[in-house]
Amino acid sequence: MGLPAGTRNYSYAQDMAIFRTKTHWAMLLALLVILFTAPLYCGNYWLSVANLIGITIIAATGLNILTGYCGQLSIGHAGFIAVGAYTSAVLTSRLELSFLVGLIAAGFAAGLIGMIFGIPSLRVKGFYLAISTIAAQFIIIWVISHWTSVTGGFTGISVPPASIGGITFTSQASLFYLIMVITVLVVFLAKNLARTRAGRAFVAIRDNDLAAQVMGINLFRYKLLAFFIGCFLAGIAGSLLAHWIGFMSVEHFSIMDSILYIGMIIIGGLGTTIGPIFGVLFIRLLQQWITSYIVPGLEGIFTLPAGFATGIGPMVFGLAIILFLILEPRGLAHRWQLFKASYRLWPFSY
Amino acid sequence: MAELLQFVITGITVGMVYALIALGFVLVWKSSGVANLALGQLVLISSWFTYGMLVQAGLPLWLGLLLVILFALALGWVIERFILRPLIAQPILSLITVTLGLAFFIEGAVSFIWPKSVAALPRLFPQQPVHIGTAVVSQEYLWAAAISLILFGLLSLYFRYHKMGIAMRATADDQRAVQACGIPVTKIFSMSWMLACALAAIGGVLMSCIGGITFGLVHTGLKAFSVVILGGLNSFLGAIIAGPIIGLAENLGGGYLTPLTWPGVREVIPFIIIIIVMFLKPYGLFGEVRIERI
Amino acid sequence: MNWRKLLKIAGIVSLALMITIIPLLSAGCTSAEEKTLKAGFSICYTGVAAEKGRPMGNGKLDCIKYINEELGGVAGYQIEVIWRDNQYDASKAATIINELMDKGCLLFTTNSSAMMTASAEIANRAEFPGFAVFSAPALTNPPQHIYAQMPDYGDDWAAFANYYLENIWQGEGEPKMAMHLLNNSTGYGARDAAVLLADELGIDIVAMEEHTTTTISEIESLTRINALNPDIIYISSTPQPTSIIIKDAVDLGMYPGVTIGLGHASITSELIEFAGADAEGVYGVYPTVKWGDDVPAMAKMTEYCQEYHPDDYGNMDYITSWAEGLIVAEILRLAVENVGIDNLTPQAVEEYGFKKLDNFNVGGLHGPVSYTPGDNRLSKAVRVFQIQDGEIVPISGWVDAPLIPYEFD
Repeated sequence: MGLPAGTRNYSYAQDMAIFRTKTHWAMLLALLVILFTAPLYCGNYWLSVANLIGITIIAATGLNILTGYCGQLSIGHAGFIAVGAYTSAVLTSRLELSFLVGLIAAGFAAGLIGMIFGIPSLRVKGFYLAISTIAAQFIIIWVISHWTSVTGGFTGISVPPASIGGITFTSQASLFYLIMVITVLVVFLAKNLARTRAGRAFVAIRDNDLAAQVMGINLFRYKLLAFFIGCFLAGIAGSLLAHWIGFMSVEHFSIMDSILYIGMIIIGGLGTTIGPIFGVLFIRLLQQWITSYIVPGLEGIFTLPAGFATGIGPMVFGLAIILFLILEPRGLAHRWQLFKASYRLWPFSY
Repeated sequence: MAELLQFVITGITVGMVYALIALGFVLVWKSSGVANLALGQLVLISSWFTYGMLVQAGLPLWLGLLLVILFALALGWVIERFILRPLIAQPILSLITVTLGLAFFIEGAVSFIWPKSVAALPRLFPQQPVHIGTAVVSQEYLWAAAISLILFGLLSLYFRYHKMGIAMRATADDQRAVQACGIPVTKIFSMSWMLACALAAIGGVLMSCIGGITFGLVHTGLKAFSVVILGGLNSFLGAIIAGPIIGLAENLGGGYLTPLTWPGVREVIPFIIIIIVMFLKPYGLFGEVRIERI
Repeated sequence: MNWRKLLKIAGIVSLALMITIIPLLSAGCTSAEEKTLKAGFSICYTGVAAEKGRPMGNGKLDCIKYINEELGGVAGYQIEVIWRDNQYDASKAATIINELMDKGCLLFTTNSSAMMTASAEIANRAEFPGFAVFSAPALTNPPQHIYAQMPDYGDDWAAFANYYLENIWQGEGEPKMAMHLLNNSTGYGARDAAVLLADELGIDIVAMEEHTTTTISEIESLTRINALNPDIIYISSTPQPTSIIIKDAVDLGMYPGVTIGLGHASITSELIEFAGADAEGVYGVYPTVKWGDDVPAMAKMTEYCQEYHPDDYGNMDYITSWAEGLIVAEILRLAVENVGIDNLTPQAVEEYGFKKLDNFNVGGLHGPVSYTPGDNRLSKAVRVFQIQDGEIVPISGWVDAPLIPYEFD
């Protein structure tokens, strides 16, 4: 499957390899080299966009494990990101712990809270479960905004720059390396998670949880594990977000963001590792492109009263999502598979 | 005791307004299984259209409202025909996401066409508040409650006795079997979206009579969301009962718990209640229990 | 499925066209190689705060247009505005601030405190000066590179409390105040001041209630407030929720009776549109003049507003934002005069622009703008208004809002 002609697998290790051929390795290396030399030829703006994309990929990968692999719909992801962001912010600014402690603690805090709100998943499914996660978001945000003595409440909390062993990450370029390293690690782990016992159990639960139970999969354990891992990654993303923006306020985590995260992984393609990456790139680049090119561009061309084109921004954004789904309802990952297949078979596509 | 009466009456009337919006959601879910994330935006655009008709164009009330309903029906038809129909037989999550795209599109269209950002509708109902015992309630809420009860009655009758309504229920049950019987499923879908948009329009007019037209209307869609899930996604009765329950929970909870906890506790009480109900009745209060087979 | 293929091709072609042509065209329009003064505006034109963001965006863009077209720019140089719609989305605001810095802006502004919090830290680290029109106390305490155009929501409260005690309060002992706050920094900015100052002023805070921007009924919270029998209800919120609270207070028979005071985000023409006759007699604090006042900048502002954004006429947010445009121009003018066009950097603009502001009168639109070391609020004066016969009428002169000693960590 998906291998160039003449490549055969002789061992299990070969069969399971993600990067099977030399070309694969070469392309991976090229990608990593291009990625990590980006600060040399990108301005702060594009680096900040890349940072945002990296953070979003981490969160979306978590949501994909939960929703795409395990089939548990969550519309409260921004709430779990907030838990991570505030855990990290409080630990590093009030208790003056180091960034790494904050980062890991953020993951665990979000994971634990996620597990608590994941308990209803044992009884409810599909859209009914969605409300439990929406509820999670509202309750989390409410607690954060009123627990003033710890979180700063509505005033917000300022977050010191991240630092590891004497290196302080303040510029966009340094943050870029921090965020990208973590992003690459997370994607790598997510890819491998899907191929472990737990990953296979998730897929079995998604496809039919009763059948999975009959096969001896402990639903309670694996559903909660999926919630833990999904929200753990949300927490990591939240911690990075806090140190990237430098100031946290509850208004940064809206329910619309949660819904958009779902949109991203569906557009990318559920249940694949590459899907969330594509989905995040699509949505975030589309947003930037609209804010920084389309709206100012339209304003520049037509001499109408200032501000007339702002409404066009969300319109183009919505239209792009609609058209995209009509043309490619299975997500970008599916299109990517087709592209790879046709590339491999070219010029004899049949 | 005076307070209790006030909380109960406010809770029920406000809850009926939520229920009204929720009915439109249930309608679409019932016939096609699509969760309409653009609900709030539909409410928003029909409120602005009402503003356009009544204030900007200065039409008389009856003509304006008639045009609003026609507009909503047309909008529903367009949405179904051009956005949802191409996606029939695709993964259901893609259909849900497409309504998210629709939500952004409508939002943008509204701020493009009506750059005014906020507006007030002319008063459609008398201003004088009504006194019930020691409690006070403004007439707008009473009208809204009455209208949502009437609509609930009409919808229930329609689904029970009208041929089209029965066909809709059958479609919800098994699309393939219905098609085999010769019922045009696409027509059913388009009908349900038209009705849903009309409901959103009525809800929008009532909501904006109460609080004016603002972007906040979008969030009423979310409130309706919790109402339908509490009631059960495919039950009109559920929506009409869950609405007041949410309203009561907000007002009683807010009224008696705020002094004990932090301010604003009213906003999260409905969600706590919903989580508890989910444990006891996973398909909502009146939802249909699916028997699963392997 | 032929139509689908056609649609696909059409979609791809139109996308490609939009990607390539629009940036080209817009680049072509601004290709003049003259020296300009770049100012960055991050505006919440769409999204949840569009209610305030849109008139404010219109105001400042019209003002800069006026300065460029009729005054020939600042010190002979045109102001080039780079503005972005942040949609009230924090992550977008954080990328926008980077873009503005990359594009060589000399300073930046945001409308709201929330969007400023998302940009402030990045700007502070880069020593990139900017100011928020409406701000919360936390932004300027401790003072760094972020400034506030107006007194903040806490200052409103203090100014209103002082005015109330001197002019309205007739009773014995301490007046009882109930506060109704929007659940964000707009509402809680007022709370911070109230917590700090109420005892000192002699006001008894009996209740702190909270509402959301999307509320449709506040009967419940007002019923509880009513039971406490307050003398004043102070609302720090935006017009639409404020109108709900006022209407519900009228329905409950509390108002007229108590005094209602509003923070500056509440008291605009929209409040009157929403609440109608119910809002009669309500007091409010606002930091600018009102439409139609006889001040130097009024004529041009009215002319531009009527011509380009007639919908915004009567909206006080447009005034604040027009004033914002004037202040941006003044800062740039000071900076150009002090260091010359060739040496302008954001740091120079802060040092020789922001910090040299001295009694600039902003065309009379709001209190004079000065920089005092240690206080990053540019204008420090507010006025008390009252709604009389459907008009917002000033009933006091400019009241100075002293710096409140907050301690944020």
